[in-house]
Amino acid sequence: MATKIIDEYAEMMKAYEQSGGKVGEFSNPNVPSIVISGNKVLGKNEVKGLIIEPTPTKDGVDVKITVKSGTKILYPMALCFGVLPKEGTQIINMEAYIEDNAGMNAISHCVFPNAEHIVHKMRYKVHIGKHSFFRYKEIHFHGDKGGVEVVPYTEGTVGEDSYFESTFTLKEGRVGKLDIKYDVDVEKGGKLELYSKVWAKDTDEVNIEEKGNLKGEEAKALIKSRVVLEGNSHSKVVSVVNASAPYSRGHVDCMEVVRDNAVAEAVPIVGVSNELAKVTHEAAIGSLDSKEIETLQARGLTEEEAIKVVVGALLK
Amino acid sequence: MGTILEIEDLNLKKGNKYIIKDFNIEIEQNLISVILGVNGAGKSSLAYVLMGLSGYKPEKGKIIFKGKDITNCSVTERAKAGMTLAWQTPANFEGLTVREYIEIGMKNKSLFSVKEALEKVALDPVLYMNRVVDKSLSGGERKRIELAAVYAMHPDLVILDEPDSGIDILSLENIKKLILDFKENGSTVLLITHRDEVAEIGDKAFLMCNGKIINEGSPAEISDFFKDECSKCDHKGAPEKSLAKNERSE
Repeated sequence: MATKIIDEYAEMMKAYEQSGGKVGEFSNPNVPSIVISGNKVLGKNEVKGLIIEPTPTKDGVDVKITVKSGTKILYPMALCFGVLPKEGTQIINMEAYIEDNAGMNAISHCVFPNAEHIVHKMRYKVHIGKHSFFRYKEIHFHGDKGGVEVVPYTEGTVGEDSYFESTFTLKEGRVGKLDIKYDVDVEKGGKLELYSKVWAKDTDEVNIEEKGNLKGEEAKALIKSRVVLEGNSHSKVVSVVNASAPYSRGHVDCMEVVRDNAVAEAVPIVGVSNELAKVTHEAAIGSLDSKEIETLQARGLTEEEAIKVVVGALLK
Repeated sequence: MGTILEIEDLNLKKGNKYIIKDFNIEIEQNLISVILGVNGAGKSSLAYVLMGLSGYKPEKGKIIFKGKDITNCSVTERAKAGMTLAWQTPANFEGLTVREYIEIGMKNKSLFSVKEALEKVALDPVLYMNRVVDKSLSGGERKRIELAAVYAMHPDLVILDEPDSGIDILSLENIKKLILDFKENGSTVLLITHRDEVAEIGDKAFLMCNGKIINEGSPAEISDFFKDECSKCDHKGAPEKSLAKNERSE
């Protein structure tokens, strides 16, 4: 049994590394971390001021993370979630409490290297107190079969003069089916930044719905999406900013690049219900800019190499 | 000194209009050859035809580079053969850093060479190397980064399409110095401009009008002719006093 868990841990670390993570983080006592494979917690490391409380369930793990008031966590927390078999379901219910005058950065790698039919659902509740910050990066690695359905839903509140940044990246391997939703309220002086970067291929399906609600005076939101589609993939990006407080400011910036027979839709929705608020948007769907490609070709790259550089930079 | 580039009877047509017509030129190796001409003379189109860009395939004619016919070669093949172009209005690249951008064309990538290239265009490497080649750069900054990138390639032939446009007067001397450095390093320069204070650094100059070379000589001679004759001409054909090369050769 112990050998099996060690093997599973080693395989998770291998996939973590393939997705760009540094495995040394999990053996560093100063780096807070958690490793979850299926519904098993394979490793956990807490640091002063940070409490990680995982509870295994039938199909996954419920995790509560608390950054205590007045604590700024020095090193970014490393999270590794995944499913190693070809088939399975993983449901992670995560609650993150960043108390007042506290802050943390976290990088989560979600790995499904052998996926043929995997469902990964992430229900995320984020509560950020006053004068605090939380930067969360989620990087996915799905293998090349496209058999993953990923459903990350995030709800949250950004407290007074606090900051929440969330970046979702899926550019290695196939996407499969992706359904992202964000719904975040921002209070007085708070700031929200949501970034989604996805490279869809073959028959991948991408659905992104991001919503920022500017409820407090001088609250700010930026929602930025970059999706590159190839083959017969399809995407729909709905970005919403509602501003109801004076001097609140929001901006939506969506760019989708379409190649082959792919289809993209972008729906920016901006709502303002206070005369002193302002929300702007920009959305662009199109092919890769031939001038960019030819510029790189004039430096000696082939067309395919140039496309890879342009797309890689766009999703960086 | 041999010829590095020959263009024979080149025509480029856009719609029903000839942008370049019966164009002939020979560019000598390791010299700075200047092409002067008013806006709309076809100078940039010539640069795009030479580089083989999409939409700029000649209707007829030949482009011989280093003795090889490259008329039907791709942009990549031309670049690999040793030719490159610095665009008048360079493209932006979201997410690509200045360092990454400059390194793309370098045969031997090194931090030292990236720094050297940036210093050549009077940009502080510490401040610029990690910036992104996107719209956060001013037009002048982007232009200088473009010149740094082509400098780092050490091309055999560099086509500089109005390298002075968008450059402030204080930086103009740096750009002129850089063009001379290209030559010093063994590159041949085809310099497209309409400013005689830039043209003066050339070894030879050609005057282009209405898709043709209508005069050639020293930069001073061509600049004088340009100022004296082109200002009063409607640019619909060769001026009366022209010593048109193509006409003379007929």
